[in-house]
Amino acid sequence: MTTLHLVRQSAFATNDFAQCLSVLAHQDAIVFMDDGCYNLKHSLLNSLIERIDNSLALYVIANHAKARAIETLVTINKVSMTEVVELTFNYNKVITWQ
Amino acid sequence: MTMIDTQVCSNVEDGNGLAIINSKAPFSSAYGKDALDIALIFGSFEQKVSLFFQGDGVYQLIDNQDGSLLSIKDYLKTFAAFEFYDIEDIYVCHQSLANRELDESFHIEGVNVLQSIEFSEALNQHAHILRF
Repeated sequence: MTTLHLVRQSAFATNDFAQCLSVLAHQDAIVFMDDGCYNLKHSLLNSLIERIDNSLALYVIANHAKARAIETLVTINKVSMTEVVELTFNYNKVITWQ
Repeated sequence: MTMIDTQVCSNVEDGNGLAIINSKAPFSSAYGKDALDIALIFGSFEQKVSLFFQGDGVYQLIDNQDGSLLSIKDYLKTFAAFEFYDIEDIYVCHQSLANRELDESFHIEGVNVLQSIEFSEALNQHAHILRF
């Protein structure tokens, strides 16, 4: 069973992202959207990237990050909202963290 | 005696005016816009207003943002009007910036970055505080 995680909250303000990471499985993917884009600069993500060595797919909605003046890392795939809709079909379930 | 009481009372009320604490990121809620509206209303009635940015609120000041990409009205551009409303006391918590790996490039002039202790001292000089 695979899950697509939609992270919509800043980990600097809430612990939703930490909760997401606590249930994350190997074949899962994370999409950072809305205030979730701020997590690209959070230490939780850095330690996640070190731990997973690229087995986990990470996405960010490009214009959500750009609107917030957040530089995106090369390891994170930039997608549009339309592509997120397509992604939901590639995973068994979706959890929205908000 | 009555005169002294009135004097003390007016000092407390007028003393350092209103402080507004901004603690929310700009685009996913209306808190930032509401705080801005209150600040400008107080400014237009020539009431003293100080703005404090703490926690995720510091994101409201970061340069190169563009709310129009999210199909919303970008109220951050209105921050440039603060000087016309005589809103000159703008304080940012340094620790909040550091935690978020943000440097001190803001989209408005005259922003004071304060260490935690100075930040709380500046805040505590105000008689009235609203937090958004």
